[in-house]
Amino acid sequence: MTTSAPAPGPAGGPDRELLRRYHEHGDVSAREQLVERHLPLVRSLARRYAGRGEALEDIEQVGAIGLIKAIDRYELTRDVALTTYATPNVVGEIKRHFRDRGWTIRIPRALQELNVKMSGAVERLTVRLARSPTIAELAVELDATPEQVLEAVEAGSAYSPVSLSASPGTEEDLDLMEVIGSEDEGFARTDDRTSLEPALGELPERERRILRMRFQDGLTQTQIADRVGLSQMHVSRLIRRSLESMRDTLSD
Amino acid sequence: MSALPSPDIELVELETPTGSEWEPVFRLVLGGVADRLGLGFEELDDLQLAVERLLAEGGDQRSVKLAFELAPDHVRTRVGPLCDAPIAAALQGPPPAPGEVGLRRVLETVVDSFGVEESDGGELFVRLEKRVGPR
Repeated sequence: MTTSAPAPGPAGGPDRELLRRYHEHGDVSAREQLVERHLPLVRSLARRYAGRGEALEDIEQVGAIGLIKAIDRYELTRDVALTTYATPNVVGEIKRHFRDRGWTIRIPRALQELNVKMSGAVERLTVRLARSPTIAELAVELDATPEQVLEAVEAGSAYSPVSLSASPGTEEDLDLMEVIGSEDEGFARTDDRTSLEPALGELPERERRILRMRFQDGLTQTQIADRVGLSQMHVSRLIRRSLESMRDTLSD
Repeated sequence: MSALPSPDIELVELETPTGSEWEPVFRLVLGGVADRLGLGFEELDDLQLAVERLLAEGGDQRSVKLAFELAPDHVRTRVGPLCDAPIAAALQGPPPAPGEVGLRRVLETVVDSFGVEESDGGELFVRLEKRVGPR
């Protein structure tokens, strides 16, 4: 990654102007620009927590939640750079994520390592075979037994079932990246509104898009993964979390 | 569970407490079933998701039975007993509206067919069927 976070500048600069537009005029596009500008900071901080059994993409997403909260809570009267203010928020969100979503059972290191290799193996075999590989084929690819493959897959699911979008704090805690990106008209605003629509609206735009591709357009996880630039296993996790998040929202 | 309809079909049965902490149990069993049948990794994930959502929506009973019938070209899964009201509302009501992602839409997407069955004792089971693709 060659990009870097904007240079700190407490008083003036683009951040200040964007913060003013957002806080004083409710300009949501200004907030989106702030998020985009500071995502490199989030990525940089997220990398510190890589290799702990959680996909880097997931950690970055959690960090982005902290960034959004920082932007929303920033007070214009503060004489502090947004990067300075946001950093502890991002780190705090990531730490809370690990605390809430840590391994619920002790997973042997060998299984964790096999799980890490799994995603790449699934992708390689999917391309090579032009279909989803079987467990046996994955086992051969990973030089493991089918039982080890299944256990490693399960190891990747051995987190507490707290949804990524479940707010861990107070009601004032904003729910994630829902503010990033434009409204997905074709999905969240159907002509025939349903009771599920508010729950869908709580999801980040990317997750809404993934759900639409899977459950409305009928794309496979692999096809979705190609389109959104994630691994199939990551798409699978996002679908599960989104469905669980929607259910949580509806039951509140 | 009912008698096997054909000698070509192998049956695996499991009774497990409900709750997310028990999900790995049926997921691993289903993984073994998928391995036995040569089901694709993504097809296995689909089937696991279907069962997970069924249990999330209607699995408030203390325990649930899962029966997997393995045929050469498909696997049929029976899940139950499930709570009547949410399952009936989700699966037996009007078709889902465009853009709706409820249980019915999920099942329509991830399995080839499904249906609601009632046991002799009046308990509600859901049957899921997934075909094994060509290898």
